[in-house]
Amino acid sequence: MKKLALLLLVVLLGLLPLFVGKYTLYMTIHIMLLSLFSLGFNLLLGYTGLLSFGQAGFFAVGAYACAKILMAAPSLLLGILGGVAVAGVISLLLGLLSIRHTRIYFSMLTLCFGMMIFSLAWKWRDMTGGDDGLVGIPRAPLEVPGLFSINMTPMENYYYVVLVFTILAVYLFYRIVHSPLGLTLQGIRDSETRAACVGISVRNYRLISFTIAGLYAGLAGALLPPLESTVTPPVAHWSHSAEPVLATLLGGIYTFAGPIVGAALFYILKDIIVRFTEYWLICLGVIVVVLVLGFRGGVVSMFYGKGGQR
Amino acid sequence: MSESKKISRRAFLKAATAAGIGGITLGFPMTELAAQQKEKATAQAKPKKKVLGVDVIKIGGQGVTSGAHADYGWQILAGSTLAIEEINAKGGVLGSKLEMKFMDEELKPAVAVKNARYLATDWGAHLLFGVDSSGSAMAVGPILPELDRVCMFVHASTHRLTEELVAGKGIKQIFRISVPVYQESILASHIFKEFPNIKRWAGIHCDYEYGYSTWALFKDTLKKYRPDVEFVSIAWAPFWTMDFSPHIAAVMAANPDAIHATPWAGEGVMLLRQALMLGVFDKIQAWFQCMGGSVDLLEGISREVEGGKFKDKLWATARYIHNYPDTPENKKFVADFRKRWNRLPNYSAETAYSTIYVFKAAVEKTRSLKTDDLIKAIEGMEIMTPGGKRLFRPEDHQAVYDVPGGKIVKDPNYPIPIIGDLKVIPAKTYYRYPPFTPIAIGK
Repeated sequence: MKKLALLLLVVLLGLLPLFVGKYTLYMTIHIMLLSLFSLGFNLLLGYTGLLSFGQAGFFAVGAYACAKILMAAPSLLLGILGGVAVAGVISLLLGLLSIRHTRIYFSMLTLCFGMMIFSLAWKWRDMTGGDDGLVGIPRAPLEVPGLFSINMTPMENYYYVVLVFTILAVYLFYRIVHSPLGLTLQGIRDSETRAACVGISVRNYRLISFTIAGLYAGLAGALLPPLESTVTPPVAHWSHSAEPVLATLLGGIYTFAGPIVGAALFYILKDIIVRFTEYWLICLGVIVVVLVLGFRGGVVSMFYGKGGQR
Repeated sequence: MSESKKISRRAFLKAATAAGIGGITLGFPMTELAAQQKEKATAQAKPKKKVLGVDVIKIGGQGVTSGAHADYGWQILAGSTLAIEEINAKGGVLGSKLEMKFMDEELKPAVAVKNARYLATDWGAHLLFGVDSSGSAMAVGPILPELDRVCMFVHASTHRLTEELVAGKGIKQIFRISVPVYQESILASHIFKEFPNIKRWAGIHCDYEYGYSTWALFKDTLKKYRPDVEFVSIAWAPFWTMDFSPHIAAVMAANPDAIHATPWAGEGVMLLRQALMLGVFDKIQAWFQCMGGSVDLLEGISREVEGGKFKDKLWATARYIHNYPDTPENKKFVADFRKRWNRLPNYSAETAYSTIYVFKAAVEKTRSLKTDDLIKAIEGMEIMTPGGKRLFRPEDHQAVYDVPGGKIVKDPNYPIPIIGDLKVIPAKTYYRYPPFTPIAIGK
């Protein structure tokens, strides 16, 4: 039943460009990006028990790296993979420093590192374009030299690229959290001391979790510049780090699909409200408070029994 | 109680029957008449088939409507609304009414791009206009070919929009109705080259595209006319700067003769007030507040101007000034705007108002809403607007029209200060022309 529903969802997403307009596709791409961003974030929060406020930094590293690559060598695959790789390296380096602490200290450290990346993006004008950001980034063709080259100018084509990346990344994430690695991370979350006592290297596992979360943030970021043709410093700001936090809280921390459902809900709510009022933040805030108070385990938990199924 | 109810029910039934009979007898001729009228109307409407094939022409606009710069967005909205109301009251454009949707660009390029996408691909805008921030304009410009829509930029002023994107990269969907940074940089150079005692210039500029391009062009041009001039200090202020005292202190440490400043709207007001508090106007010979001729800024410093606190040293320009030109079109626009909104229009109101009339003229000329046709119609168009006669030069889609600079002074005819002691220099003499030589822009 569950598999059938999943298959149906994938088919539906695959056929979406046939039924909807460009703007809905554009919004769906954004929902997929936030889903990837939130999934990675939830590996830290929901599975490892670490609340990071600096994920937007890695998102921005992925986005800026992809943008710079695309501007220098117009190849979509190179841009995206390059962006993910750079974000992975940076998250590994900053992870080495951040995972030395837990709880609020970890959150503050990640917030600081995230804002350091924001400051770099904002002030290093020669490299990042400063406050104006990088503009005119091409949506380069998807090509493997000698094999194929697909034009990415139509939004539909790029939608399929993002969809394929998302499906692969979600599947990989599913395998990760259901592997011994995922179970170990949950063990560390539930009792760090007990995990250490059975011989698990808590720090190493936390570092792996942090790097994977950074890679997912980097992937979401790297998929952004070809869509928007621009990258600006607000993508690195801590308020952008709050988006996966909100999406995950809305959807549910302790459920696999929670961040994905939360991302969709967050974007749809935001887009609908912003059309009617410039005070959309107030309205969204009220809705989030109601949802968080009403569904404490997240919206997805409604579909599961008491205690929640993971 | 129940008795009275019964009676009333009976009375009601009686009345209903009477009304029904009356309705049947009177109603038939009435329905017949209505049907005849409807038929007549359809017969009359048939030859008046919509030329453009649409009931409404949708115009999507955006500007900043939140934060310290929000008045600009409001003025764009007010100016365009006034024009749309005027045009619709006269039957619209070729029988189609105008409809507008306006969104907040938040001075964020990513938001401006998202808005443009939404307006063009979801809401169904036939034409786009607006955008306050230069950074946002540089982000929206490149996606216009994909959206296949004309966008008239009414405020964003970096010269790169028309020089690089239109003349350089050939993005024909971009047009700009307002004068670019030529105004605050090249015109300012023309004014101040005549002041031999001002030799040391400092800048307090926006830490984004607008500030960088203005300062670069100002230095480049003034140096050509006055090789003896020095640029002694520069301070960069990002969006949302509230406290300018570090910037003021930094540039005053270099002991400049004059200051050239770009922070605009509410930030411009804060900058000038803080400069007064720090005694800057006792030490310098002139302060050029680039977009100081904007209504929100003039309102903000009204009391200080009346009190003579700027010691006759405050200069400014704008992209349109409500007291210039002295033409019937401008007087009518200012009067109508004041009547409708109970305020004076700033330049973004005039450029937005004129934009709607440019769209009207283009649609009437080409009798089509196709982007390619509209581009051809606007290229080379000459049109009379409140700001004067504008020419959209085909090379870079930039509107050419005259706006003077001058000193901010109090005038008894206006409730707020105006730009007086006007230095009118024909736009043709100070605009840049293609082929454009790039200007080195850096810190």
